[in-house]
Amino acid sequence: MKIWRIVLAVVGIGIGTYGISQLLTQIPRPTLALLALWLIGALIIHDGLLSPAIVGVGAALRRYVPDRGRRYLQFGLIMAAMVTVIAVPMIYRAHTQPPAKALLLQDFAINLTVLLAAIGGGTLIAYAIRVARDRSVPGRPPRDEAQE
Amino acid sequence: MPTVPPSTRPAWWPQFSGTLRSTAVTARLGLVLGIAIGTCFLTGLLSYFQYQAWEWLPPPASPVWGYRVTQGVHVATGMAAIPLVLVKLWSVYPNNFRWPPFRSVKRVVERITVALLVSATLVQLFTGFFNVLNWYPFRWDFLSVHYRLAYVVVGSVLLHVAVKLPDIVYGLQTKVAEGDVLTEIPWNENPESHSIAGPLPPPVTPGLSRRGVLTAAGAGIGVVVVTSVGQTLTPLEPIGLLAVRQPSKGPLGVPVNRTAEEANVIAAASAPDWTLKIIGPKPYALTVAEVEEMALHEARFPISCVEGWSANAQWRGLRLLEIVERAGGTADSQIRVRSLEPAGFFNKSVIFGPQLSRALLATHLNGERLTVDHGYPLRLIAPNRAGVFNTKWLATIEVL
Repeated sequence: MKIWRIVLAVVGIGIGTYGISQLLTQIPRPTLALLALWLIGALIIHDGLLSPAIVGVGAALRRYVPDRGRRYLQFGLIMAAMVTVIAVPMIYRAHTQPPAKALLLQDFAINLTVLLAAIGGGTLIAYAIRVARDRSVPGRPPRDEAQE
Repeated sequence: MPTVPPSTRPAWWPQFSGTLRSTAVTARLGLVLGIAIGTCFLTGLLSYFQYQAWEWLPPPASPVWGYRVTQGVHVATGMAAIPLVLVKLWSVYPNNFRWPPFRSVKRVVERITVALLVSATLVQLFTGFFNVLNWYPFRWDFLSVHYRLAYVVVGSVLLHVAVKLPDIVYGLQTKVAEGDVLTEIPWNENPESHSIAGPLPPPVTPGLSRRGVLTAAGAGIGVVVVTSVGQTLTPLEPIGLLAVRQPSKGPLGVPVNRTAEEANVIAAASAPDWTLKIIGPKPYALTVAEVEEMALHEARFPISCVEGWSANAQWRGLRLLEIVERAGGTADSQIRVRSLEPAGFFNKSVIFGPQLSRALLATHLNGERLTVDHGYPLRLIAPNRAGVFNTKWLATIEVL
């Protein structure tokens, strides 16, 4: 494994250094300053705002939602968050372009609502099936109670 | 490595008590993300080659749908990588809170390279996505930064894989439910970790299981891909709830990337005295009427945009090679076509090699005379050629 690690590291450092030197020599200074701002901003927004918020949501769910239901809620929320990340910039940019471009002509707020409703509905149905099954097995308590 | 007992940490230091995160989960997410980024990088290089082809290696003309597929894949994998990278980073977030924060030079260097990896990847993916949305809140030249930053991303990914290879191998070889919990305390400093304490029952995940996390992430990405890829995989256009473009809604069933108004060519393109000037050893000129009379050749080429949309189309026009040969050029010539557009990087393009032999100067698109947004009176269309180089509103053809 050691030789692989060395090869990967050398190739990686080589390619990365090429990219950085290209940026430093081919891109004008004001652009580089702006790019640096974006790079730092991305870290701050992700590690400083988004991630703590997600940790907070996770902790709140653990505290307030029973295990059995939480499983389905987490599943739905993960899917919903992924779809939302992509949809939100589209909502913001919709209907800003000449119609001939056939670009962002849809009402993405409605489309996102449809997708979230589908994800929510699917999650709810899966949860309902789980509850019904737990009830139909005689003598088997819901998993939450069994664990407590 | 000397181990630091976690009890020496201050009480306020963040502690991660969840059992969902694990090296096994991270390694699986990382593997898929690595494949996505690698695919995105390679298809991106193919696209860049369309921009900067070497003279000794002309871009091929076949398969005619080559660029349609590679650039469709480039944009689809890039978009899919956005939610994927967010889940991957969620899975390793506790690593930011190791105690003590600056324990060794090696560790600090590693964190700096990880910071570069994360920030470069996020900026690369999001600015790429914004470019697809024709949105430029970053006010730099997209192409020149996107191309160079790609090397920074891929280089730091490879370095990251080199550093983490033992963890990756452990993670991929371990059943997803069983592997060590990933918290702010690394497994090799945690006496309760599975890898140190020996075989233990798998950690309890009272809510969603680890497999559930992977399934949810896969399903979420699946929804994003299936609902967005209709902009190039046209059979999926009807379910394209997140499709940036809807090819069928463009004029004559094909979207336009740059309108005549944006290019500032409406007056020049509609002028009745427009002529096409052919510059070469035997120069000549063609009027609109002559061009339309000679437009007898049909071809079915997709038009494929660097922004990831594409549409197949039926074209009719003149064979470029015949026009070039009449001016004294040959199939081996380099040809520069120029647009009526007064300025800009994309008001001209160079075509040579196999693309030259099969290119059309199109007057008709899907059976109709070109609209001014599609390049009336005359545009270039060639197979396997990035859309932006199929120059519209042609003014001159020059044998170089």
